[in-house]
Amino acid sequence: MQDSFQIKAEDWHSFLLDLSGDNTVYVPVKTFKNLDYKIFTKEIENIVYNVAKPVTPLKNFFLPVKENVFNEKKNNNKQIIIGIPSCDLKALEILDEIYLDNRYPDPFYKDRRKRSVLIGNDCFKISDHCHCNSYGIEPYPVEHADASLSQIDNTIIVSINTEKGKELLNQASAKYQVQEPQAEILKIVQERRNEIKKQLTVINKTLPDYKTTGELIKKSDDDIWIKHSRTCVSCGACAVICPTCTCFLLIDRPDFEKVRQVDACQYPGFERIAAGEDPLHKRFVRFRNRYLCKYVWKPESFNSIACTGCGRCIESCIGNISKNEIFIEMNTAAQP
Amino acid sequence: MPSDTNIYKPIKAKVERVIDESPLIKSFVLVPEHDFSFKTGEFIELSINGYGEAPFTPSSSPLDKKKIEVTVMKAGYVTEKIHALKPGEVVGVRGPFGRGYPVDKFYGKEVVILGGGCGFAPIRSLLYNLIAEKEKFEKVILCYGSKTPEDCIYKPFVNELRKVERFEVYRSVDKADGSWNEREGVVTVLLDDINMNISNSVAIVCGPPVMMKYGTLKLLEMGYPETDIYLSMEKNMSCGLGKCGHCMMGKYYVCKDGPVFTFDEIKDQPDIWL
Ligand SMILES: Cc1cc2nc3c(=O)[nH]c(=O)nc-3n(C[C@H](O)[C@H](O)[C@H](O)COP(=O)(O)OP(=O)(O)OC[C@H]3O[C@@H](n4cnc5c(N)ncnc54)[C@H](O)[C@@H]3O)c2cc1C
Ligand code: SF4
Ligand code: SF4
Ligand code: FES
Repeated sequence: MQDSFQIKAEDWHSFLLDLSGDNTVYVPVKTFKNLDYKIFTKEIENIVYNVAKPVTPLKNFFLPVKENVFNEKKNNNKQIIIGIPSCDLKALEILDEIYLDNRYPDPFYKDRRKRSVLIGNDCFKISDHCHCNSYGIEPYPVEHADASLSQIDNTIIVSINTEKGKELLNQASAKYQVQEPQAEILKIVQERRNEIKKQLTVINKTLPDYKTTGELIKKSDDDIWIKHSRTCVSCGACAVICPTCTCFLLIDRPDFEKVRQVDACQYPGFERIAAGEDPLHKRFVRFRNRYLCKYVWKPESFNSIACTGCGRCIESCIGNISKNEIFIEMNTAAQP
Repeated sequence: MPSDTNIYKPIKAKVERVIDESPLIKSFVLVPEHDFSFKTGEFIELSINGYGEAPFTPSSSPLDKKKIEVTVMKAGYVTEKIHALKPGEVVGVRGPFGRGYPVDKFYGKEVVILGGGCGFAPIRSLLYNLIAEKEKFEKVILCYGSKTPEDCIYKPFVNELRKVERFEVYRSVDKADGSWNEREGVVTVLLDDINMNISNSVAIVCGPPVMMKYGTLKLLEMGYPETDIYLSMEKNMSCGLGKCGHCMMGKYYVCKDGPVFTFDEIKDQPDIWL
């Protein structure tokens, strides 16, 4: 299915207001330096589409930081998430493989996935550490979104990809003026896409691709990890903010209730066993573990990639560690 | 487990009996609120209400759907609370989880079992299973080691096992005393005493990491193929069902892909012996 229409920005936002009665509608909003999802209300300001990227990774809509997983709450409310970057949509593949596996599907994740309508958007402005294209991901939504959106001046172009998207977005034409996208606007979209791809290629020209990175990590010696993990304080920010990191801890509550809370292999003791033995005791081993997981182990047992190049782990690191600098250094050293 | 259930929700089980096995090890007979089936080698998550949860492999017969017995070594936060349990108290049980022993692959073979310390727990469950189908195996040899004679667990069971035809039992302790008339030394010395046809035999190892390591090395040296050595791995665990990431051992989730692996499957993964 490929339906698309264009609509004036004011009309689009009036439409979102209509939708926000029965549903929770999230839009990307700029506050100070950051962009993040906010619940759409009549008073909302500074909605910014097509800019990389919301601070919150998409995973948090399905895996809240902390959740009681004992009582299944009945909730039929849809969550409509607008402005998802392509990298975060790609990350759904590994989340689905883990949380919707045949043997033990997670009922909470499944329910939230079902209740969500995903509206992606093009990235017309990238941030410093975006590297989706190095891993074969386009900087505009290709898969996993029910629809996607680009704004050119005062016009919003919406492409619909699924039945779910169609059912929701066709309502717009009942009340607002929509029309088939004009060729000249589509041309601008195409030009911007090409331009962004060019920018991404330029800023990442020395970065090895996903598979090569795995091979480089496999061959790497301890020294490079010791060197680069010196300023790591094990805060776990890189993992918590990563759209593909999904580790958690179950915590016990009275009446046998369980609370699932975000956890990270970067926290000391994550793999400690009873006798006190801890394979991740050394900081550099712990630090390396996250990349071994993403580039070496996950690819061996899953069909989807475990880093989508969003760059959040680099932006969030208070120790100023860039995984990409490590991989570029490895790659350069490996060149004849 | 049916796929529409809440994977995080324990069922309740009542403690029926507590058995002192050794100074550090106790067994608990649990009666779950409804029938509970597991395959030998699969594990459960046992929770102490509001306090914590830990993984244990049942030590009872997989044929008994009414009761689950777990044998627990006091090792820390949760196991200490488990040791304080009294008959009549209620615990939570999730599971069964993981991949247990592929018993049908052992048919027609000699089964050599190397166990140490609390590693006897899953092995006893396996032995119950093997006894129930005993005519299907050439013979079954148990080699079990513990630190001292007083650390030897399952004494009545061992006495019964010695009487079962086709089953042989060998035991060792690291440090013997006057009462001990079996072997002295680390458990691997028992492998020198036994007689088996390696080409038609499988080996099963379960115990503390060092014992697993040296046991496996010795079996390899004796000529066991890597594909015929079965190990039951211990890792930190939280969810038990391949999601939380705590149990990762290289590309494997030990909770879901294991805990039973052949040495061949895991030999290239990191930190298998910790
Ligand atoms: C598949 C499998 C089967 C097993 N079978 C058996 C068996 O049959 N018998 C047996 O005796 N043992 C068995 N074990 C080992 C047993 O699970 C551990 O001994 C047990 O988990 C120790 O728990 P503990 O809390 O007492 O120890 P601790 O050392 O206190 O803690 C162990 C783990 O729990 C974490 N932890 C500690 N405190 C907290 C807290 N407050 N909140 C959250 N996490 C915390 C630690 O970080 C550590 O990861 C098995 C293990 C596995 C993986
Ligand atoms: S590892 Fe870093 S760049 Fe890759 S997906 Fe996670 S946060 Fe983004
Ligand atoms: S990594 Fe690519 S898709 Fe993700 S925000 Fe940056 S440009 Fe957009
Ligand atoms: S214990 Fe959670 S993934 Fe294995």
